[in-house]
Amino acid sequence: MAAPPRTWIGKDIPRLEDPKLLAGRATYVDDVRLPGMLQAAVLRSPHAHARIVRVDASRARAQAGVLAVVTGEDARAMTNPLPAFCAEPVTQYALAVDKVRFAGEAVAAVAAVDRYTAEDAVALLEVEYEPLPALTDPFAAMQPGAPKIHDTLPSNLVFEKTLSFGDVDGDFARARQVIRRRLRWHRASAQPLETAGAVCRYDPLGQRMDVWSNTNMINFVGWLIANTLKVPASKLNLIPMYVGGSFGSKHVLAKVIAIAGMLAKRANRPVKFMEDRVDNLLASENLACDRYYDAELAVNDQGEFTSMRVQVVDDYGAYFQFGHGTHGNALAQVTGPYRIGSVSYSVQCVLTNKCQQGVFRGAGSDAGNFCLERLVDAAAQELGVDRVELRRRNFIHAARFPFKTPVGNVYDSGNYPAVLDRALELAGSTELARMRQEARAQGRYVGIGLATAQQRSVYGPTEFWFWYDTPGLSSAPESVGLSLGPTGEFVATMFSPFWGNSPETVVAQVAAEEFGIDPAQVTVTYEDSQHGLPGAGPGGSRMAVMLTGATVGAARKLKDKLARIVAHQFEAAPEDVVFGDGKAMVRGMPDKSMTYADLGLKAYWFKLNLPPGMESGLEARHTYDHPYLTLPSADRKDLGAFYPIMAHGAHIPVVEVNPETGQVRILRYVAVHDVGTMINPKSLRGQIAGGITQGIGMALYEEYRYDAEGQPLTGSFMDYLLPTAHEVPTFEIGHVETPSPFTEYGVKGGGEGGRMIAPAALASAVEDALAPLGVRIDELPMTPERLADLVETARARR
Amino acid sequence: MKPSRFEYMAPRAEEDALALLGEHGERAKLLAGGQSLIPLMNFRLARPEVVIDINRIASLAYVRGQDGGVAIGALTRQHVLERDAEVVGRVPVLAEACHLIGHLPIRHRGTVGGNLAHADPASELPAAMVALGAEMVAASRQGRRVIDAEGFFAGPLTTILRSDELLIEIRVPGLPPRTGGAFVEISRRAGDYALVGATALVTLDAAGRCTRARIALCGAGPTPIRAAAAEQILGGERVAGSALEEAARRAADATYPPSDVHASSAFRRKLARHVTREALETAARRAEGA
Amino acid sequence: MPATASTMITVNGVRHELTVEPRWLLVDVLRDTLGLTGTHIGCEHGVCGTCTVLVNGETVRACLMLAIGADGTEVMTVEGLGSADGGLHPLQEAFREAQGLQCGFCTPGMLMIAYELLRANPAPSEAEIREAISANLCRCTGYQGIIEAVSLAAARGAVARAG
Repeated sequence: MAAPPRTWIGKDIPRLEDPKLLAGRATYVDDVRLPGMLQAAVLRSPHAHARIVRVDASRARAQAGVLAVVTGEDARAMTNPLPAFCAEPVTQYALAVDKVRFAGEAVAAVAAVDRYTAEDAVALLEVEYEPLPALTDPFAAMQPGAPKIHDTLPSNLVFEKTLSFGDVDGDFARARQVIRRRLRWHRASAQPLETAGAVCRYDPLGQRMDVWSNTNMINFVGWLIANTLKVPASKLNLIPMYVGGSFGSKHVLAKVIAIAGMLAKRANRPVKFMEDRVDNLLASENLACDRYYDAELAVNDQGEFTSMRVQVVDDYGAYFQFGHGTHGNALAQVTGPYRIGSVSYSVQCVLTNKCQQGVFRGAGSDAGNFCLERLVDAAAQELGVDRVELRRRNFIHAARFPFKTPVGNVYDSGNYPAVLDRALELAGSTELARMRQEARAQGRYVGIGLATAQQRSVYGPTEFWFWYDTPGLSSAPESVGLSLGPTGEFVATMFSPFWGNSPETVVAQVAAEEFGIDPAQVTVTYEDSQHGLPGAGPGGSRMAVMLTGATVGAARKLKDKLARIVAHQFEAAPEDVVFGDGKAMVRGMPDKSMTYADLGLKAYWFKLNLPPGMESGLEARHTYDHPYLTLPSADRKDLGAFYPIMAHGAHIPVVEVNPETGQVRILRYVAVHDVGTMINPKSLRGQIAGGITQGIGMALYEEYRYDAEGQPLTGSFMDYLLPTAHEVPTFEIGHVETPSPFTEYGVKGGGEGGRMIAPAALASAVEDALAPLGVRIDELPMTPERLADLVETARARR
Repeated sequence: MKPSRFEYMAPRAEEDALALLGEHGERAKLLAGGQSLIPLMNFRLARPEVVIDINRIASLAYVRGQDGGVAIGALTRQHVLERDAEVVGRVPVLAEACHLIGHLPIRHRGTVGGNLAHADPASELPAAMVALGAEMVAASRQGRRVIDAEGFFAGPLTTILRSDELLIEIRVPGLPPRTGGAFVEISRRAGDYALVGATALVTLDAAGRCTRARIALCGAGPTPIRAAAAEQILGGERVAGSALEEAARRAADATYPPSDVHASSAFRRKLARHVTREALETAARRAEGA
Repeated sequence: MPATASTMITVNGVRHELTVEPRWLLVDVLRDTLGLTGTHIGCEHGVCGTCTVLVNGETVRACLMLAIGADGTEVMTVEGLGSADGGLHPLQEAFREAQGLQCGFCTPGMLMIAYELLRANPAPSEAEIREAISANLCRCTGYQGIIEAVSLAAARGAVARAG
């Protein structure tokens, strides 16, 4: 069924956010200046694991220009532990108490008149440590006799569970072929160009804490941060900033807020703590998956995938703050776009002496896609079947949607063959194959990769707790306010921050569509947490859907009131009032219309002309909850619908590999994404290109490395390598639109898809390039040395 | 990441700089382009008590044709060097190497002398200067001395300059006729420090046989590595086939590269062979056309 | 009382006599002393290029320059790019139209790179644009929108060739 013609949804309008960003006028947290504001710097542990014997801050405190110093003892007294989304007793303070558990953990903090002075004082802090054995290998760390990183836990194997759905054993027993792969996905980090930061201003008389921070969830977890800060929740105000990128790393910045907050209380002056790049590399609260997969795919006589088993060891680092949510995340789409009937998924979460994991764009489904697509490529190879044909054969058929996967999550809609066809068409697959053939004849190693994978959107919060037996939160809302003023101008209010996505533009385009106005007529503002409505903010590719839903909800409420005003004015029925062209009108009667300016003026100034009983004013707020969320069953055999807005993509990269140097050049990159109804296609293409670029980073460049003592070896941008413009090609991006039946306008989320699919696609491409040598790709990133070694080993075998 | 405190001096003439160096020597660091020093200071890996900023000594920035080659003032910005007509005309391999340093904004500030005195083993210019047989002119209150490039570099981030000496000029000799040069490096990303790089200069006779070869590698040891044995292999040979392979192998064998997150020592050695081969091939091809 | 020195820097056409500690970085003096917070800090070790400004017409990383080292120079930041009536420069307009930004954090630095490129080379090829912007990191856009923006600006003659 075709959508009705739309005026603004689907248009490439310039973004509302851009003018001030371009002029350098947007306020990021480091731009905040308050009278008397101090700057903070943090002392970090040089040891990966050690007892803190003694902290002597006397010389630091005596330094001119220093107004406060806080240590772990202060953190224990002045704060509560950081909010944790795990059930296990893994306690973390913003400054290490008694023990440091990763190299780079914050041990003390200084507030001084400027950052230079603060760093001078940090150099004067004296800490005596008693080093302990450092655990860097999760397999060693999980052993019963291993030194315990947390005394509150029986072992470093902090969580272990298997969830099983359907007849896995039976399906494997009946399989014609079992494909097995051991895979390795290394630790990476979001590394937005803007680091995490907070400015805290404390009023001791009212116990009020004002916080300017680039944290997310300002209208969702404020009360948890208040608890950490030991201020009443109603006295905490979190003020949203423009955020210079997050990609998941700035969800709950309790640590930087707590450090700034403690210092603000102690110094009795506002304090800014802005992480520098070393702070962010060492101690960002959100490093990404660090996984060892042992996975199997069962295939029947007809070449159909029937079952899969996934075993994962996940190296979580020293704390478990965000729990195993990234495995819940992976379960949302663990069977991919395929008709796999049964699944078992075993996870072992291990603590080691490294900085902790959190989430990074993809949040577990990136690694999950890599695992599944490697198995699929392997199946094609072992069965001697064309990998395109094999996928097509196994796709969920269009007629089956909404599709309930074996784990219980639902896929709302999809048309996977159409996406694959479009990708093959864009790539010019026949010509590509011919080109590869020619290149091979010349002795060049050119490869074509393929990944067809899911990109779930709009998380349900059950994924954070359904691995446990006890239930947890079930809300993940988003709110928008819309008001129409006496001059006919629209103001939209948002309750979550801007991350580099396009929330203002989304809201304006949807409001424009709803009211028949130009998006330029919508002014967008942000509200802080004291005046805010619930909103979980950006993450899990949810904002396009959630903001659209909230805006439509607010628009409906407003239009309802407007319709009644018009109806009253013209003695018509409210249901006969239509909206468009800058006005509201009785259907079919252009004389019986009122412009939005008319309506605004009337509603605010002419009470006695309004319908009896109607309040003055024109404002509506709507809190839009998750459009399709259901609880898991008690026995966890059905996890419910928790990530049902399911987008999809097919990537076809073309690479050339130098077998001697291991260097990979990306010759072409084709990506076709189906994210349902597109609101602003150009903006979406930007998200896809950026996501793929991060995927290229993951596939070829980005990796955290440690030595045997747990010392990070990638502590600067000279060692942790982000792709530059030279490392990425021109992306050829195509679209298919299969609307969602569950969301307003059929929108789906597409912000993460690039990074969720590209690593799998590039592994496929490099393996294809090196196929003449029989090289298998099981590990990311594919650094030059790893590839050169694989080639050398393969050649030696022959 | 802010520098620790220091005393700051900004002499405007060479003799003033030398006087300051003589007085403060051990406690001081010279600041030229700052593209290597300031990051170290921001990390507080370098905490000099005194910083002598020589950017105002205009007399130290020049490029002149001289004796068939070029004389380069130490304060010449890298971006100026890579575009200088004399350099491009007489020793184009130097421009080629210089262009690979970082990115344009770095080369706007970074100086030739600063890069050489910093002596990062992965840097392009030190290896290029060794291959070119350049000479460094160092000045102090005691006078001047000329140091052969190969003897100038003592170890990682270490030259034989005394603490009271200032590098003032680099003299690059001209190249014989029918000489081609090439600089080839491998790095993780464009603009990064080389994992390993090779400068090759090849002079051919009328029959296309090598009469002179100069090869120096960066990223291959604690200092630039002159691949003398490899050079000898090529004497009298065409730069192709087994002689080329052998030269590349010998060059790699002469290296003792570091291991780090980007590449192990063994892998760097393997890459050394690759870049040496490529640099020699390209240099020979250019010599044919010269 | 730490030792300070005087320095005179012209920023966006305005002369400033400043008292600075010699160790203060140019980027910090621009942001904190002069309140020009459009130039951002990304890494403080000269890799990301977020802090790029023009000094005497040449792009430099403001985190790798001492403020005192900029004595006597003319500095241009993103705030100096706008039009006289407070509107956007045609280069910025091109970025807006092509959506050459997402979070905006790398954008001022990218604009400086683009500005310098187009002054020297008013009709750059895609490869030349890619080469120029490879000096700066962007974590959001994948560079494609930025390249399109600079191409668009070039096609419109958004930046006059340097004399």
